[in-house]
Amino acid sequence: MLLRRFRVGTPVVLLALFVALSLTAFGCGTQVQKPKDFYKIGGVLSTSGPAAPLGQPEQRSLMLFEEQINAKGGIDGVKVKFIIEDDESDPAKAAVAINKLIKQENVLAVIGSSSTGATLAMAPVASKEKITQVCCAAGTKITQPVNEWVFRTPPTDSMAITKVLQYLKNTLKVTEIAILHDSNAFGTGGADELQSKAPGYGIQVVAREQYGSTDTDMTAQLTKIKQTPAQALVVWGTNPGPASIAKNMQQLGMTIPYIGSHGIASKKFIELGGPAANGVVFPAGRLLIPSSIPAGSEWRKAVDEFSAAYKKKYGMDIDTYAAHGWDAGLIITDALKRAGNDPIKLRDEIEKTSKLVGIDGIYTYSPTNHDGLNVSDLIMIKIVNGAWTEAKSS
Amino acid sequence: MEKPRGIAETHSYRTLLIVAAFILILPLWARAIPGDVLHMDIVNIMVLAGIYACAVMGLNLLIGYAGQISLGHSAFFGIGAYTTAILCTRYSWFPTWLGMILGAALSGLIGWLVGKPVLRLKGHYLAIATLGLGEIAFILFSQVKGLTGGTVGILNIPPLSIFGLSFDTDLKFFYLVWAIVLVIMLLTFNLVRSRVGRGLRALHSSEVTADAMGINTGSYKVKVFVWSAVLAGLGGALFAHFQLYINPESFVLTLSILFVTMVVIGGMGNLWGGIVGVVVLAFLPSIIQAFPEWIPGLPESLSNFNNYSLVLYGLLLMIFIIFMPKGIAYGLSRGTVFGKSTAGRLLDRIKAYRSTEK
Amino acid sequence: MLDTYDKSRKKMLFGSAALLTLVLVVILAVKGSTGLQWIASGLTVGSIYALVAMGFSVIYSSTRVINFAQGEFSMLGGMLMYTFASSAGLPVPLAFIISVVIVSLLGAGFERLAVRRLRDSSVITVIIVTIGFSIFLRAVAKWIWGSEPVKIAAFSGEKPVRFLGAAVVPQSFWVFGFTALAVLLAFLFFNRTLIGKGMRAVAANPDAASLVGVSTSTSSLIAWTVAAALGAAAGIIIAPIRFAAYNVGTMLGLKGFAAAILGGLGSAPGAVVGGLTLGVLETITAGVFPSGYKDALAFLILILVLLAWPQGLLGRRQDVMT
Repeated sequence: MLLRRFRVGTPVVLLALFVALSLTAFGCGTQVQKPKDFYKIGGVLSTSGPAAPLGQPEQRSLMLFEEQINAKGGIDGVKVKFIIEDDESDPAKAAVAINKLIKQENVLAVIGSSSTGATLAMAPVASKEKITQVCCAAGTKITQPVNEWVFRTPPTDSMAITKVLQYLKNTLKVTEIAILHDSNAFGTGGADELQSKAPGYGIQVVAREQYGSTDTDMTAQLTKIKQTPAQALVVWGTNPGPASIAKNMQQLGMTIPYIGSHGIASKKFIELGGPAANGVVFPAGRLLIPSSIPAGSEWRKAVDEFSAAYKKKYGMDIDTYAAHGWDAGLIITDALKRAGNDPIKLRDEIEKTSKLVGIDGIYTYSPTNHDGLNVSDLIMIKIVNGAWTEAKSS
Repeated sequence: MEKPRGIAETHSYRTLLIVAAFILILPLWARAIPGDVLHMDIVNIMVLAGIYACAVMGLNLLIGYAGQISLGHSAFFGIGAYTTAILCTRYSWFPTWLGMILGAALSGLIGWLVGKPVLRLKGHYLAIATLGLGEIAFILFSQVKGLTGGTVGILNIPPLSIFGLSFDTDLKFFYLVWAIVLVIMLLTFNLVRSRVGRGLRALHSSEVTADAMGINTGSYKVKVFVWSAVLAGLGGALFAHFQLYINPESFVLTLSILFVTMVVIGGMGNLWGGIVGVVVLAFLPSIIQAFPEWIPGLPESLSNFNNYSLVLYGLLLMIFIIFMPKGIAYGLSRGTVFGKSTAGRLLDRIKAYRSTEK
Repeated sequence: MLDTYDKSRKKMLFGSAALLTLVLVVILAVKGSTGLQWIASGLTVGSIYALVAMGFSVIYSSTRVINFAQGEFSMLGGMLMYTFASSAGLPVPLAFIISVVIVSLLGAGFERLAVRRLRDSSVITVIIVTIGFSIFLRAVAKWIWGSEPVKIAAFSGEKPVRFLGAAVVPQSFWVFGFTALAVLLAFLFFNRTLIGKGMRAVAANPDAASLVGVSTSTSSLIAWTVAAALGAAAGIIIAPIRFAAYNVGTMLGLKGFAAAILGGLGSAPGAVVGGLTLGVLETITAGVFPSGYKDALAFLILILVLLAWPQGLLGRRQDVMT
């Protein structure tokens, strides 16, 4: 019976197969060179997994961007194609994905990722392969120290923290605060920086507590904070923790001001927090409140157009993550105009970007600045009656 | 319970040579196919597969031969990774190969410390205890910021360099990792043939009987556990020097479960089970993801693999364990893939029916 | 749960309840109203752990299987409740019943299709199939509902009830009430009905039970259905406080399991005592120590109890160790 032969033969058969295929492959000659009929730009985004609320809007923006730029004829007649992979919010998968995009798909640059961990896992590959990486994550370590191949579009965590501290000092005029942060990288990094920069604003951190990303009852930590002389509470984390904290605070009857991070800059926070979300203040890009951008300016025009197009295609409002994605596409294609098909020249041209009007803000890069934006692109937003309004910040 | 058997033990060395030859040729073949056709970087995926294989081979011995279970091996993977990462980033002079060895050793030491008490438990309780250990390890990785860099992790890990040769490309790493895997395979052959190996098999069949016959079951269990921890630590160290960046998110329960899945699908207790399982599970996502490119015209919900990749994973796991509990490698060695499982019995029935028809 | 009234158990039950009370008194004395707040929060979350633990116990008692997907039953209950009560706008009791029924059917289906086939398989096989099931359920939930958390309206509003310096949301009382009801129903079922008593017989000695005509397979089916229902109900009740999302099942399952081990697998009062104790201890840990280690507590307790006192407060030793 044939089956019995397999007992010994399977490995041999498989080997024979591969030898045969190898010979065929060589026989095929060198790799067929395809004509360059479009610019390929890769993307590694977290469209599933915990960071999906970040990755999905980013992907939507890029699809919209691709549509719009190609409708206008592309870049000097050459169309643009985004090839987007999902890293499932996993650093290891992000590294595999960027490898594949660079080596298999031969992309000119890679956008990604949505979260700091995945971005950091991709960076060594970008450096090794000398391909530009433009990320949509805000973690400070990504560009400090500057990695010559990695850029970012969002305002950094540092900028958000500076904004918060300015608000605490100038508007609320407090001198003692408590910090309650998520134990993940975003929360811990933010809390560390807050703590080290606060004294520079004359503010003392009298309590620092943390919670787990999936925790939903922070009354224990809040009870401890209630005992301290803290005049304001800074909460640094992403949904749903901060929403639970808002509810817990209401439950415990705590009335000190709640300052959140840019991690709650989405309508989800209001939805989850309900009435408890009112009064919460957080830093975010001006794009969330278009009226905070001077009317008639190029920036305002860009925001309004993007907002309308996004709403038309997807039926959703834009948020900061959609902006990060769009701007990443913008920065790369803007530099492509000057650089053409050359990945190294592309990086150089990105570094020469000056006052490019995006959605998150106006971008200027340099060999020592791969962040692009600055603090003035941010505002403090207050939630009033379930809607966003600009909080007075001096 | 049948004795777990490898691909005909007398032919094991021959199979090893064949596999080695295959590995030698693979990159040449893989690199020759154009990227727009293949849509996956085979060498890159194989490196990761090889790294995981180190951990999975050890786990295979633990689960398949010794009949124990661990749902916390991500902890040992992580200990190996963090040890070498911390040493090599804090002290730039620290040789990376030494970091790797220390990583594996420390992992084994901790395996011994926790294994001794924990392996007294059996079945579900052992599973849960090891799961708990894995979770505690994750929490420690995340909280002991001064040492591990906390949730941000450790960046700029230097690439591996042995005797001055630097393994900084995928290809070099590929050969290194798979050479290591084959060496481990050789060691496993020896182990299985030795008295220890026979003792393990006796243990697996019936712990009580083995005990009665004078086999020191407790000590054997711990030894296998420690060995599996060493291998997992080695894998973790390789991982650190490959990805050049680690953070606690890489060492979570999902990874432990992935390891166990690889053991199960590959074939518990089969010598080649670990490697088969790793390769299958490493390539499966890429293959499915490439379907839309190979087969145009698939509906969107099906072609966007990420929608349902996990659903498939869970289903696969359940279906596999019910219908092919002995895994793929076992089936390959017996001439049919389905063995004596439900599907196998069905196949037998069909065969019998057709032979009576003649 | 099915051997509730051995005399020695009774002693242990009262002993451990007394211990818990002592701990609570000490906390109150030392920490005053802060302590009271901690206790209130701890008991709320502890009740949920208790319900999940009961689910584990029911399945374990009758089939000697640890169901790794128990937490997912709770998660699904919450998500289905969101669909029916919040999205579709059905009245709360109706949505509750529909959600619980759907999850119960899932549990029953899994038992028939998977668990029954693996009756004679090794422990590892069974563990893996329930793990596969939990992965599957979680992935399906993510596919259907996405990855963002969802909000479910509290049953009787959000205005906190304040007493003696502590504040408790009304939903907590629903949680306490339901837990008490569940324990009562479990007691009645397993001690006063024929089916329940039959299940206890199967748990004690499956062969003898089948000799007297008690069907092992029906017992298993009922156990899984009941555990799924319990889990779903627990998930629904806690959802207004906790926010439901596709990934809440994992931690809930793990902690519920730790609670079950603490109280002794296979014991309903044990599940309750274990759950409440774990909840309170966890909250205190978050209050006293750097709160990042809070989760480690559950696992630490788990391992310590398994190693030192594997039968838990109220279980049986021979099931656990070699």
